[in-house]
Amino acid sequence: MIIVNYIASIILIVLGLYTVCTKKNLIKVVLGLGIIDYGVNMLIVSFGFNDGGTAPIYQMSDLLNGVSTKFFVDPVPQALTLTSIVIGACVDAMALSLVIMIYRKYKTINADEVRRLNG
Amino acid sequence: MMQHFPVLAVMLLFLSAFIVEIFGAKSKAVAQGIAMIAATVSAGLIYALIKPVMIDGQIISYWMGNWAPVEEYAIGIGYEVDALSLFFALLVVTTFWLSGLYSIGYMNKDHHLGHYYTLYLMLSGSVLGLVMTGDIFNLFVMVEIMTFASVALTAFRNFSEGALEGAFKYLVIGSMGSSFTLTGIALLYAECHTLNMAQIASILAGGLSPTAIAAFGLIIAGFGVKSYMVPFHTPAADAYTVAPTSISMIFSGMVNKAGVYGMIRMIYIVFRAMDKGTVQQMLAIFGAVTMFLGVTMALAQHEFKRLLAFHSISQIGYVITAVSLGSALGLTGGLFHAMNHTLFKGLLFLTAGAVLKQVGTTNLDKLGGLSKRMPHTTICFLVGAGAISGLPPFNGFASKWIIYQAIYTKAVESGKFVYVLCTICALVVSVMTLASFIKVTQAVFFGQLRKEHENVTEAPFSMRLPMYIMALLCTASGVFYDFVNKYLLHPAANAALNISKYIDAMMGPGYAANARVSDMSVEPVAFSYWNPIIWLVLFGVLFIGAALVILGGRNERGQILSSSDPSQAKYDTFFSGEKEMYSQVGGSDLFWGFKSNWKGYYKFMEAIHSGIVNDYASMAVVGTAVICLCMFLFMR
Repeated sequence: MIIVNYIASIILIVLGLYTVCTKKNLIKVVLGLGIIDYGVNMLIVSFGFNDGGTAPIYQMSDLLNGVSTKFFVDPVPQALTLTSIVIGACVDAMALSLVIMIYRKYKTINADEVRRLNG
Repeated sequence: MMQHFPVLAVMLLFLSAFIVEIFGAKSKAVAQGIAMIAATVSAGLIYALIKPVMIDGQIISYWMGNWAPVEEYAIGIGYEVDALSLFFALLVVTTFWLSGLYSIGYMNKDHHLGHYYTLYLMLSGSVLGLVMTGDIFNLFVMVEIMTFASVALTAFRNFSEGALEGAFKYLVIGSMGSSFTLTGIALLYAECHTLNMAQIASILAGGLSPTAIAAFGLIIAGFGVKSYMVPFHTPAADAYTVAPTSISMIFSGMVNKAGVYGMIRMIYIVFRAMDKGTVQQMLAIFGAVTMFLGVTMALAQHEFKRLLAFHSISQIGYVITAVSLGSALGLTGGLFHAMNHTLFKGLLFLTAGAVLKQVGTTNLDKLGGLSKRMPHTTICFLVGAGAISGLPPFNGFASKWIIYQAIYTKAVESGKFVYVLCTICALVVSVMTLASFIKVTQAVFFGQLRKEHENVTEAPFSMRLPMYIMALLCTASGVFYDFVNKYLLHPAANAALNISKYIDAMMGPGYAANARVSDMSVEPVAFSYWNPIIWLVLFGVLFIGAALVILGGRNERGQILSSSDPSQAKYDTFFSGEKEMYSQVGGSDLFWGFKSNWKGYYKFMEAIHSGIVNDYASMAVVGTAVICLCMFLFMR
């Protein structure tokens, strides 16, 4: 059932948002961002999925002979997901490198103490 | 030939970003040269489009790899430049060209300039691509590149106080916003099975399903993050403050305009929801809150760039309110103000950068009397301050005047009290903006020159040249507003309201008519500047607004405002006499009385702007939830 995928991805997104909003450890905040990403990726892949569908590879003769082309898995969401996964990996890498630099400068990665810019 | 220009302009910037990284690492001059050549050529290509698009009314469409639609179904990635896109593209190229020019003088003491120019070109290319693309997933990719380049540039001077922290907060909130946008785009794809904005617009013309409404809410929230609308504004204040000033100018000149562009594109063209009262009122309220919160926070700041950052947020509030009205007048005013904001806020950031470069600090408590040492910078600053406060000969007056008229007309037409409040808010905020800039002028440029700043010199010519250009543009667009309206604003507003041409240019003629897309006819907006009745009514409204402010602060009149805390001595009734040898009210604290009266409000605001990343993230989540909830409760 594809509905399981939808529910699971919404749960992942909400979990990620919860992590970002409540966890004080900056690395956990970054992990939260990652979890949101995974949820969204799963949602996109599920949109293109057809139960029992085939790969969208047909020859011209198949199409002309009227072979059913209705039940193939939509390739576009998979392409989108790949792009989105790459972007997500970059987010994580960049955020973690910033956390390392923050740790060197502030000697802490507690969000409550990394707040020199306020007011 | 002409249809290749947009994509060439974008590709050139991205390609040069890598060329700079390869060849510019060793030599500063090579990096600067490559970046400036790329920026100039790209700006030239975009300027060459003014005649066909703005004057002749063409729409330029371009399919990457010539993947034109097959059987009326868009498959490839398309670039499409209509007047609305070109309007924002012009803002973008002007901003990054001037910023590049300024960087030559401003960044000459920094190391690793090759990396700086790589990121600068990536940021420029992504925003330019964002405003010209016709494909919604390409839009998302450009948003992501924009966010990363912005974050990296915010942290570029990573040795300076707070740069890393500001960048991290920007990254967290920004990538949350991107995730919301991506979720919205995914829902939209599930609904329409296409990623082309023109085709989505014609499919959604039949009415919005619940899925489409959810997508709408999420995408609007996502672009709200990029334009720093109020619950999402917190990283903006930090990032603008700590980024190099040439980049702060890019942030306020084009990065948040990209968010505004996304909102206009989505509301007016893709979802066609600007005639829905709910969307209008919700965004008008968000805009009004944004302008009020921005300006009140700006009044409390002691840091030049942070103050400008909050003003930037506040001015974007004007744009959002005006654009949300859904009328041709409001859209014209909003676009005009977006353009003017690019000009005058860029100018103000440049003067702040000149002060930072020549004096070494932007703390308002430590500055003063610089007008004697930096006269040219002072004059440019005064032009910018006059423009942002809406003083008559400058462009800020012209656009704010249209916005007041637009909101007021809306209030009369719809009879909703919300718009009356928005009008009052817009007027009061304008007054407070002026007040705040009087404070800055007094604290930085006038008053007594400090001993340690005796040897300060004027900024070098390469930094002053962009300031002169921007000051000139600020004045010119205020004086020749009719010209600007005829050649830039009217075509852009027209393009946002009449979408069948946009769809036909992309999908082939007759496509929009088949999909039953309806257009709105737009009359050219007449600038009825001196209509006496509207003047009179406006002054009445202004009077009521002023009365509200005065009465609101009245409760403490007649009481002795004394405090036992000696550090708060300036809030005592007689602070200038016995207790303290000198008056503690410097130019930087000109409005201490106002702050004292609004103590409760400011305490609350300080609690909100706590600087803790979790709080900011929670605000972003709450903001998104409110937007989606409003859409669901009232749009169906």
